[in-house]
Amino acid sequence: MTITPERLSVDRVDEVVRALRTVLADEQILTSKTDRYNRARVPAPFPVHRWGERVPDLAVLPVSTEQVAAIVRIANEYRIPVVPRDGGTGLSDGAVPLRGGIVVDVKRMNQIHELDLINRTVTVGAGISMLKLNEELAKHGLFYPDDPASYPCSLVGGRIGTGGWSLIGSRYGHTRDLVLSFDHVLPTGEIMHVGDGIGQKISKSSSGYQLKHLFMGHQGTLGIATRATLKLFPKPEAELSPFWAFDNYDDAYACTGALARAGVATFAGAVLFDEYKVAYLRRDDEAYIPQPKDVRALVCSVMYGWEDEVRAGGKRLFRIAREHGARYLGDEISQGDWAARHDRYATPLHGRTKAGQVVPMSWHCEDAAINYSQLPAVSKAWHAIIADLRRKTDVFDDWGMFTYTSGNTGVDYLTEIDVGIWEQQLDDAAWEMWVKAKRDIAAVSLANNGSISACHGSCRDGEVDLVPDELGRGFDLMLDIKRTLDPNNIMNPGKYLLDRAYEGHV
Amino acid sequence: MATSETGKVGYRRAEQYTPPAPERASDVAITTFEHVWEVDPRLMQTWVLQQEFPNWDTLRIMNSRHDHLEWMHKHFADKVVTGSELLAEIEAEDSV
Repeated sequence: MTITPERLSVDRVDEVVRALRTVLADEQILTSKTDRYNRARVPAPFPVHRWGERVPDLAVLPVSTEQVAAIVRIANEYRIPVVPRDGGTGLSDGAVPLRGGIVVDVKRMNQIHELDLINRTVTVGAGISMLKLNEELAKHGLFYPDDPASYPCSLVGGRIGTGGWSLIGSRYGHTRDLVLSFDHVLPTGEIMHVGDGIGQKISKSSSGYQLKHLFMGHQGTLGIATRATLKLFPKPEAELSPFWAFDNYDDAYACTGALARAGVATFAGAVLFDEYKVAYLRRDDEAYIPQPKDVRALVCSVMYGWEDEVRAGGKRLFRIAREHGARYLGDEISQGDWAARHDRYATPLHGRTKAGQVVPMSWHCEDAAINYSQLPAVSKAWHAIIADLRRKTDVFDDWGMFTYTSGNTGVDYLTEIDVGIWEQQLDDAAWEMWVKAKRDIAAVSLANNGSISACHGSCRDGEVDLVPDELGRGFDLMLDIKRTLDPNNIMNPGKYLLDRAYEGHV
Repeated sequence: MATSETGKVGYRRAEQYTPPAPERASDVAITTFEHVWEVDPRLMQTWVLQQEFPNWDTLRIMNSRHDHLEWMHKHFADKVVTGSELLAEIEAEDSV
């Protein structure tokens, strides 16, 4: 059964509100235009004149798993869409209501329920941010190392729903490794606890199917995480984040690979900035404007741990960098740039027309998971795609590429190209050009044996068309799972081509 | 806030809206105060116009950014090891 995209009538919304009042207080049900529009917006650029398509019919603010379950059961009864929203910082539209309905905003579920100092775990509501959580954990010398570029504003539940990637994941793992288990409301309103086995605080179980990963990274299409138990680490005593300059990309690329393959235990990540990124930073970033013109590529490496370990490992990495012709950029730029990487969403953005004039632009970040050996080929092909757009219009601006290690062996990299988009000028024709470019970018990733996304998800227009190609038989299995768990297609409908699960099953 | 010639604390608008003379930092950027870079005003004439900022606000933004970065470091680790220290140690070891 599919949900028709037509919006609910006022009478129908009133009916749903009356039903919700049997499980929620009035102040937990939001129907004003402001409340609804505030929950339609996400960071990824979209044509301004079409924002109205993405406004929910109402929003709710539950405070418990039981309330979330009751809301989902009501949505099933009335056959209206439910869209979970945590921080709303995702770059693949997971939190965007494509067909109206109820947005379930989990921000009030932000409590710390249990801190287990013996087993080093914490159990929290899905609505807590990592920043606020770590402020509390620091009092006990502990740390939850899930570190997206939206660190101050993204929430634990959103990290579960989108399958988050962490800047320091090469040292500590990513969200899937750090979340031990969680309470989850299925699309039918049933409550399930999912982890390794049925464990609350178990990091490795061989009992039954490994269901935890199935309920992470689904972009809200398989339900809503409400409470999670997380793995904790000692708060690092020391941090080191050297930035090195190179006069060419090839040496910087070789250095990045060598750093990642060095086997240093405190290694938390290496980042390669290409020539386009350096050129972009040289326009506007106070740290890079004064850099000499022979700085054409950059490498950063990050280490966390006890000070003696960080110093020993750091010296090893400095020697590797030197062997590759690196020039250390200095303490101020190294420390300042790295600290700013935890909080990229607070950066005011602007781009340039081809004539050089400053224009207001939003940030679109296309990402993929790419093997080290394929990074130069992917980089070249992606820049060519954006250059083609740029030749046609000033709406798009190439802001360069980063590649970040995803693990501690250097096998694959979160590879991203940042594109400035002049949203005020993003008309239907320009949007179609962009969707085609996104499809082309995803095709390059697949042609290089990569995955369409390492981090954001792959359910936006353009890239999503190629998800069946990437997953093959696995995509058919996704459809089967979706139809089984969400028989009425109420959970975040319209995402990931999952409507196909219901074709012929009305 | 500034102290006037009479010794009273006062606000001199002209003083606050007169930053140091700009110096060219690159083809597309200028500097005013030390460590304060701005986009070349010639590039902000059509779509985004430059805003008038009082000097105190310019300096506040610059200093608060440093505060923010310092706070972020402390959030993630108790101490920051500097690359220059390690580089000096390596060079000393290699010279032995």
